[in-house]
Amino acid sequence: MQRDTLVSIEGVIKRFGSFTAVRKMDFEIRKGEFLAIMGSSGCGKTTTLRMLAGLEAPTEGVIRLSGKPINHLPTWQRDTPMVWQSLALFPFLNVRENVEFALKMRGVGKAERRRRAEQWLDRMQILEFSERNIAQLSGGQRQRVALARSLVVEPEILLLDEPLSALDAALKVRMQSVLKNLQRETGITFVYVTHSQSEAFSMADRVVIMSRGVIEQIGTPQEIYGAPRTRFVADFLGSSNIFTGKVLAASDSGVQLETADGPIVLKGARLAQPPRQGATATLTVLDTKTHLSMTPPPDATNVLPVRVIGEEFVGATATIYLETPRGQEIRVQKGHEDLVGLPLDIGETLYAHWAPTDSHLVAEA
Amino acid sequence: MNSEQINRSRTVDWTLRAYIVLAYVFVFAPIAASFVFSLNSDRFPSIPLGSVSLDWYRAVAADPLVWQGLGNTLMIGLIVGVVSTFLGFGAAYTDYRYHFFGKQAYLALALLPPTIPVIIMGLAMLAFLSRVDLSGRAISVIISHVVICAPFAMAIIRLRLSQMDPALEPAAWNLGASEWATMWHVIVPFTKPAIFGALFITMAVSFDEFAIAWFVSGLNETLPVKVLGFLQGQVSPRINAIGTFVFVISMTLVIVAQVLLSGRAAPKSDEKE
Amino acid sequence: MRRPISLYGLTFSLPLLVWQLLFFVFPLVFLVALSFWTVKNFTIRPDFNPVNWVTMFGKPVFWQAYGTTFGLAAAASVLASVVAFPCSYAIAFKLSDSARRMAVFLMVIPFFTSYLVRVYSWQIFLSDAGIVNVMLGAVGLGPYPMLNTVGATMVGYMTLALPLVILLQLFSLVFIDRTLIEAAHNMRCGRIRTVFEVVIPSARVGLVIAALFCFILTFGDFVSPVYLGGGDPTTLSILITDTTKSGQQWPRAAVIALTMIATLLVVAFLSVRFAYAGQAKGSRT
Repeated sequence: MQRDTLVSIEGVIKRFGSFTAVRKMDFEIRKGEFLAIMGSSGCGKTTTLRMLAGLEAPTEGVIRLSGKPINHLPTWQRDTPMVWQSLALFPFLNVRENVEFALKMRGVGKAERRRRAEQWLDRMQILEFSERNIAQLSGGQRQRVALARSLVVEPEILLLDEPLSALDAALKVRMQSVLKNLQRETGITFVYVTHSQSEAFSMADRVVIMSRGVIEQIGTPQEIYGAPRTRFVADFLGSSNIFTGKVLAASDSGVQLETADGPIVLKGARLAQPPRQGATATLTVLDTKTHLSMTPPPDATNVLPVRVIGEEFVGATATIYLETPRGQEIRVQKGHEDLVGLPLDIGETLYAHWAPTDSHLVAEA
Repeated sequence: MNSEQINRSRTVDWTLRAYIVLAYVFVFAPIAASFVFSLNSDRFPSIPLGSVSLDWYRAVAADPLVWQGLGNTLMIGLIVGVVSTFLGFGAAYTDYRYHFFGKQAYLALALLPPTIPVIIMGLAMLAFLSRVDLSGRAISVIISHVVICAPFAMAIIRLRLSQMDPALEPAAWNLGASEWATMWHVIVPFTKPAIFGALFITMAVSFDEFAIAWFVSGLNETLPVKVLGFLQGQVSPRINAIGTFVFVISMTLVIVAQVLLSGRAAPKSDEKE
Repeated sequence: MRRPISLYGLTFSLPLLVWQLLFFVFPLVFLVALSFWTVKNFTIRPDFNPVNWVTMFGKPVFWQAYGTTFGLAAAASVLASVVAFPCSYAIAFKLSDSARRMAVFLMVIPFFTSYLVRVYSWQIFLSDAGIVNVMLGAVGLGPYPMLNTVGATMVGYMTLALPLVILLQLFSLVFIDRTLIEAAHNMRCGRIRTVFEVVIPSARVGLVIAALFCFILTFGDFVSPVYLGGGDPTTLSILITDTTKSGQQWPRAAVIALTMIATLLVVAFLSVRFAYAGQAKGSRT
């Protein structure tokens, strides 16, 4: 479903002195979507958000909101409210006054201000705390105040800068569903910056992955998870085994790769641009689709002898860490029942294998 | 903590505590003596004490020049407090908010004056102000006192600003408040305790300053300059009466400032939820 | 949006800048000019004549006063540091948090009492028939002449500087990581040795700065040398007040003042260098 464009970012570059925080960025934010921008610290995700908010001006390029360039509009003349990592609630105002702040700055009358603030406090289920000091609230309640304070102006877009990072794990999960529901009900476009894969993938309609000021991939969580576009993304997500080697043969439906540990095969794909023979290419396979056995399966193609180097149990799943004779690391993630009978002590030798149709070709090695 | 307790020696601890008391006795002996002898009837203050009397307060109260000095002191102190606090606030905010070429020099200018000996400041001020025809007036004391008081105001307010979440100001802009509106609705309310603290502290500093005032005040003597005059003349327990009086005013200001600075300081955002 | 020059920003940054340039920097610069002016018939006239410098630097009285002032200020700095250290150490390490807060608050009080009044109070203690001599007389000693001595000047200097020195030392001591001290004990470093090998090096910067402030305060003070020391030996500050208040010899007073500033700058520079020189070795700040 193609939706209208709300924000377009065209050739945006941001430099701080000699440091380039964002290099040549082009993408669009659609009306009503939940977009997550993800990356490790220093990747430019927060700078991007601050440019959308009007807290930084792009060095080059244009940012349009509903078609109008807003590059040099100061933040107080935009309706791009932001939820801050520290929440930045005003400690000298009570809960209701915090929520009324933006309305007061827009010259809304006292009675109207109060009515609209209380409506949002009610919606966020914190109306009973409206006369409290910020210091008297719990972390989750503060989160709701911060959301109400930003949403009270009923903007088209809400910017969120890692707002959940200060919460503990359980509260984090609860607030994720609050945020997701809120976004769905209001239809407001959310742009959510985070370094957490689980937050991005569980809430967002689309995810932007950034690294060193460059967008590595944009897509739905499923697209990115199943088909990382670059080696960086595959590494960053950490859920695939990655093999690089020389292309022995390639067509628009498959690739055969020669790696240090032997040949690796991809079949049944639809490749827009198959790699040239002799070039270097990278194939990935999800760790959940990599299997282990004690003997090499008779008719399988992608088979590698591996040695167990470690294991880790989290809840119902186990992650086995293995190594090929050439030192290539392989991870396998399985439910406990799939591992019954396998010798998993460190140093044991097993065979890792997967179906050629489960291989995926990374576009940029 | 256990290891510390084991390694502690009671004798050493108590000796050190006794030493603290001794040091405080030395520091407070002259303050206490001044108070005690202001209530002592004897012409020449010493022990044994004479009878309790308010004679010296009466003598001081009967001196119109003392009243004039007090009037000057209060008026000057109030203006100095207000002006220094405004200048100090501006400098503290500048340091908090902006990075610019020459900032080190700016900060040096903002903070150095109190480290220059008052006698030199007094001389420089006298020479300069008489050159521009401003010496010998109340305004000359105000000008000079602001120079040494503004740095105190700046330090106090800067400390408060450093306790502010750096996202608070941009958050207000982001919610539609212009820079001016943010200043009025966010920065000023947040720093309010420090602003009043700075106001009272700078007033107290001005109340007690005598050296520069002595140099530049001419006939508009402040109370401390009056005390200097008494000291130069014959020994007079009137000094004790004035001293106690000024002490009470200063301490009131300082305690009010202290209450403002610590009591109402906003709770730090140290929640771990 | 960082725009370094805006009406808004200048409204806050300019007033102090202008004030301090006009009324702090300019008077000090003017002092330099003044030192080259000449006095004829009790009026000062603009000139460019090094005569004041030559006259002042040629006077043995000036150099005697310089030596006295420097020596007294240096002695006061050492004395104040040594006297203050056990006190600030004890406050930092031997008192509970609430007692420490109280101690700090009490130590701030002297800053807001009149220094003049406190000096006058010491006269009451130290005069020939004063409190101390009466008490000594009760046990059959004295009376000893104590007022108008160098010792009395030193008492005045301590009155002026001790509270500040204690507070500055204290602030550097409370920030020492307690585990450092425990680690030293753990490695069999004795109590006294820990103070010298761990505590003092860690607080080095603060201790030196405290001594420096004591030097600055006492070097420029004229109240204690006059009203407790009796004006003898003469210090530079007494020389300045005499030259200004009685003789109209402002240019000469300017020479003295500038020499004092130069001295303070050199001392401050050397102290700060000395303070930070040992940093790699000791302190964490």
